[in-house]
Amino acid sequence: MADQELILDEDSRDLYQELLNVAMGRAADMLARLLNTFIELPIPKVNLIARSELDMALASAAGKKNVSAVCQGFMGDAISGEALLLLTDADINDLITLGGIGDQDSRNELELLMDTANILIGACLKGFSEQLDIHLTQSQPEVLGHHQPIERLLNPQTSWTQALAIEIRYRLENRAANIELLLLFTSGSLEIINNKAQYLLE
Amino acid sequence: MKILICDDSSFARKQVLRALPPQLGQEIQQAQHGEEALTIIRRNEADLTFLDLTMPVMDGYTTLEHIQSENLNTLVIVISADIQPEAQQRVQKLGAMDFIKKPVTQDKIIEVLSKFGLLTQEET
Repeated sequence: MADQELILDEDSRDLYQELLNVAMGRAADMLARLLNTFIELPIPKVNLIARSELDMALASAAGKKNVSAVCQGFMGDAISGEALLLLTDADINDLITLGGIGDQDSRNELELLMDTANILIGACLKGFSEQLDIHLTQSQPEVLGHHQPIERLLNPQTSWTQALAIEIRYRLENRAANIELLLLFTSGSLEIINNKAQYLLE
Repeated sequence: MKILICDDSSFARKQVLRALPPQLGQEIQQAQHGEEALTIIRRNEADLTFLDLTMPVMDGYTTLEHIQSENLNTLVIVISADIQPEAQQRVQKLGAMDFIKKPVTQDKIIEVLSKFGLLTQEET
């Protein structure tokens, strides 16, 4: 992967924020139907992020609680990246309650985690790629940690030093649960996204 | 007709701008959040407001509440990425005339404006 120095100007930040705003809205709608609740949409946070910063951000976001994460790679039309869904155990319990899964056996928990990831990541990437008229293929989702301390999630096989990170923190209305979705785009993807987006304003 | 476009994203505002049918005229102002929008609406400078929901400072729901409680003189069409049916019901309860899903298209804007008789022959 090329290690070119990335710059994020205000126009680009605004563009990514809006593209993801539309994409995550569709994802939230699907999740709201699955859980039969109202999802509060946040404003996506767009930042350039170094590897070390991501490690720190993830660790602090999770605090000392145990975290489960599902990660799924995506690529197509010279755009590539990684989607990461992060849930604490408390969040998962909230989802189980809403999802109507009575007993908390771990198989059901895992299924709910994978369902949530499939819906949110899938719908989000679909909404994103449709706006830009690109086609992204997704790799198999992987559960990175299930009741594992956060440090174990941060042993990645991928190699990158800097990426564009878009952080979306969904809140379930009247619940404590936060569902955190992190999309990482490789440095090489950004120029292509910018070019494609110009067509939307012509 | 005096138009106001309120969205925190300049990209989204541009998308609305280019989707507006030319018959609406050129009296168009822009606002980045609900507070800016209310300032313009209170001055009676917006007959028609295109309003986003998810915004910093003041979101679209709160903006609609103000328009309703202060009895302000503007028609509101919400343009939002929040396509949950519940969101659409909430904004209509708060007095929004209609709801358009992002990304907005000219066809959709014309359809909605025509539905409410806002795109009359005289204006062409």
